Amino acid sequence: MNTQTPSPEDILNTAQSLRWEVGSDFHEHLMESMYTDAARIADRAVTRPDEKPRFDLDRTIDRLVTSRAFGFPLMLALLTLVFWLTIAGANVPSRWLSWLLLDTLQPILKGFGATIGLPWWINGLLFDGMYLATAWVISVMLPPMAIFFPLFTLLEDYGYLPRVAFNLDNMFRKVGAHGKQALSMTMGFGCNAAGVVATRVIDSPRERLIAIITNNFALCNGRWPTQILIATLFIGGLVPAQLAGLLSAMSVVVIAVLGVLFSFLVSWSLSRTVLRGEVSTFSLELPPYRPPRIWQTIYTSVIDRTLIVLWRAVTFALPAGAIIWLSANITFGGVSIAEYLINFLNPAGLLLGLNGVILVAYIVAIPANEIVIPTVLMLTVLVTGTSSMGAGAGVMFETQSKVEMITLLHAGGWTLLTAINLMLFSLLHNPCSTTIYTIYKETRSLKWTLISTLLPVVMGFVVTFFVAQVWRLVAGIL
Amino acid sequence: MPNPLISLLVAAAITLLAVWLFRPERGLFWRWQQARQLNGRTLREDALKHIHQCEIHNRLPSVNSLAGALGINNNTAVEYLANLEEHQLLEFSGENFHLTPTGRDYALQIIRAHRLWERYLADATGFDEAEWHGQADLYEHQLSPADLNNLSMRLGNPTHDPHGDPIPTASGEIVYQERIPLAGIGVDKPARIVHIEDEPEAVYAQLVAEGLHVGMIVRVLESSSHRIRFWCGGDEHTLAPLIAANVSLEPLPEELQEQDQPGERLTNLAPGEAGQVIGIMPRIRGAERRRLMDLGILPGTIIHNEMNSPSGDPTAYRVRGALIALRAMQAEQIRVARVHESEELASDVFTGN
Repeated sequence: MNTQTPSPEDILNTAQSLRWEVGSDFHEHLMESMYTDAARIADRAVTRPDEKPRFDLDRTIDRLVTSRAFGFPLMLALLTLVFWLTIAGANVPSRWLSWLLLDTLQPILKGFGATIGLPWWINGLLFDGMYLATAWVISVMLPPMAIFFPLFTLLEDYGYLPRVAFNLDNMFRKVGAHGKQALSMTMGFGCNAAGVVATRVIDSPRERLIAIITNNFALCNGRWPTQILIATLFIGGLVPAQLAGLLSAMSVVVIAVLGVLFSFLVSWSLSRTVLRGEVSTFSLELPPYRPPRIWQTIYTSVIDRTLIVLWRAVTFALPAGAIIWLSANITFGGVSIAEYLINFLNPAGLLLGLNGVILVAYIVAIPANEIVIPTVLMLTVLVTGTSSMGAGAGVMFETQSKVEMITLLHAGGWTLLTAINLMLFSLLHNPCSTTIYTIYKETRSLKWTLISTLLPVVMGFVVTFFVAQVWRLVAGIL
Repeated sequence: MPNPLISLLVAAAITLLAVWLFRPERGLFWRWQQARQLNGRTLREDALKHIHQCEIHNRLPSVNSLAGALGINNNTAVEYLANLEEHQLLEFSGENFHLTPTGRDYALQIIRAHRLWERYLADATGFDEAEWHGQADLYEHQLSPADLNNLSMRLGNPTHDPHGDPIPTASGEIVYQERIPLAGIGVDKPARIVHIEDEPEAVYAQLVAEGLHVGMIVRVLESSSHRIRFWCGGDEHTLAPLIAANVSLEPLPEELQEQDQPGERLTNLAPGEAGQVIGIMPRIRGAERRRLMDLGILPGTIIHNEMNSPSGDPTAYRVRGALIALRAMQAEQIRVARVHESEELASDVFTGN
């Protein structure tokens, strides 16, 4: 045996025995000393032009926006301003788009279809179903998103939003979440799909999952109109006209705040149950303030957020429109599929203080929350046989007249309980398909996608069920 | 429409049933699952582990000790011993019994699974350290040798579990190092914790509550038969000898001498104060530790406490020119030496500010 050159076995054996001597934290120490050496070399070699570490202006702003006295009021004021600008600013273009796409273009397209001799059912499927649903989603969704996202991105770009996360982190820490969840949640008030994408700023795996799963509890832009409409029709109607606006606005705010409370509750229980073992690494960088690059911001937020989300919504709205139209027009023995479904789900709906029409509307409107109310109205006409309203089976519509609408809904068996439970269910139900798809793309996990889809809808069933029973019990006693 | 009172009662009954079945840990369903896992194989493997432990600690295993360790009665214990002998894992010599070489290898594989799983829980998950042992007790019976090798590779072939126990290699090789009990180390000699025994649970919980971890540096201040007083991680600790017996140390290796400075926790700095990092305590592991190092929190770095958030937690620190918010539970795991204002003033004079 050659003693000069050790055999591979010898080397392996030596390595084996050395391994025990080196110990287990060898990798950690090696990595730490490499980092440290690199930092020391950099410190020696790099000279910084200005040793003064932070601008005094930055420091002053920081002291102000994170102070005990002004931190929270300032934050509330800014967010209120953003929401107000969004709601006020979106009204006009939304009405304009709806006039153009729904009231003007749709009849023209349908008339055109008839003149070139399309069979009635192809014409209906294309223009009453697919086109109408898509146009509806665009006219309701586009203007607020095109205002909200750039405003939000400007605040982000300026460096203010990380300070919001810094201020609110303690609250979120107590429920096992990350302060930046405040940002993704606020984004969720605009659009849940965008809110889910916004959770990318959270770099800790566990906290990010919590933020994704609970984003749906932020009442999104597609659900605000439902809330406002139902509150105005049913809750505002309870009090004299001069108080109606205030009460209905307050009831919508109560629902939104309830959503925030639910998201805290769910974050808390998730971090203590299914997400207990996930890795958590907190850190939050507070970047220096800088003047926002307005045009670039508007460009990227329109391209990155608005258009991508809109495109996804459109791809889901097209088939949904087709399904809505078909379900109302394909009949067996004179009864349409939609009516079969409504009759089938009616007992369950009534038990929950809702009705079959609402449940069917929520099933076919999974692609977009925007079309829930138009679908509900169309289906109610279908069921009650009120021929004076609507534009035929499968054609979604909305009417400007409150009296007409409330008469129709009363004919459909609606009560104050139905309205309240619809508001609750609109808050607590599965995310729209765009959001579900986004959750899957972000988590790459079927399990988390299913949990974030089913958890809210189960909660919705439970909450509406209990509200309905207690309501009826109290009403029975009174 | 059903009577609301009846439907409420039915719903309440369903809720109660669900709670009874699925209540975390105590629910019937979880218990049933646990009982199913506690089958013959589990008990047999636990028996092997117990006998192996006795042999390592030079104690004689007996039917009584086995029954006690596994929580079964003596008759069942005898049955399991007979079963082990049948499989040629165990040999009797009169009253006593000992493991055959095959039996010892088998026991080592179970120990390997247990300790690797604990390492995995410590490095790659967010489970609390109090939960490691219990979980590893379950998973040690479910991992195949191929699983174990994959896991070991993924973790970088670790040599020790998070409590400081050596992990047997795939070929069953294991080396126990010399350790000094905390009571046996001289006063004022720097030493490093290399092992914290995780059984019994109550004692371990107390050590965890003290914030003691494998890898921390200890300096004994007073050692008597009533109590042991020592510095560790910037705090003074006092332990009863019974508790201290579960902590073992080694003399501080040469290359870590520079970490042996008193220091204090980063959370001790008030806004406006600064400190120089001595090190991140071993409690911060895996991804979280790497994140802090990525941010530039390394031995020698100067950290300024810049401001508190309105509610006091988190706190924003200035690290290498960047403003970074850390939560108190992280910042208290970073040891710093206070940098005094006069030194800062001096450096300000030089830079001309």
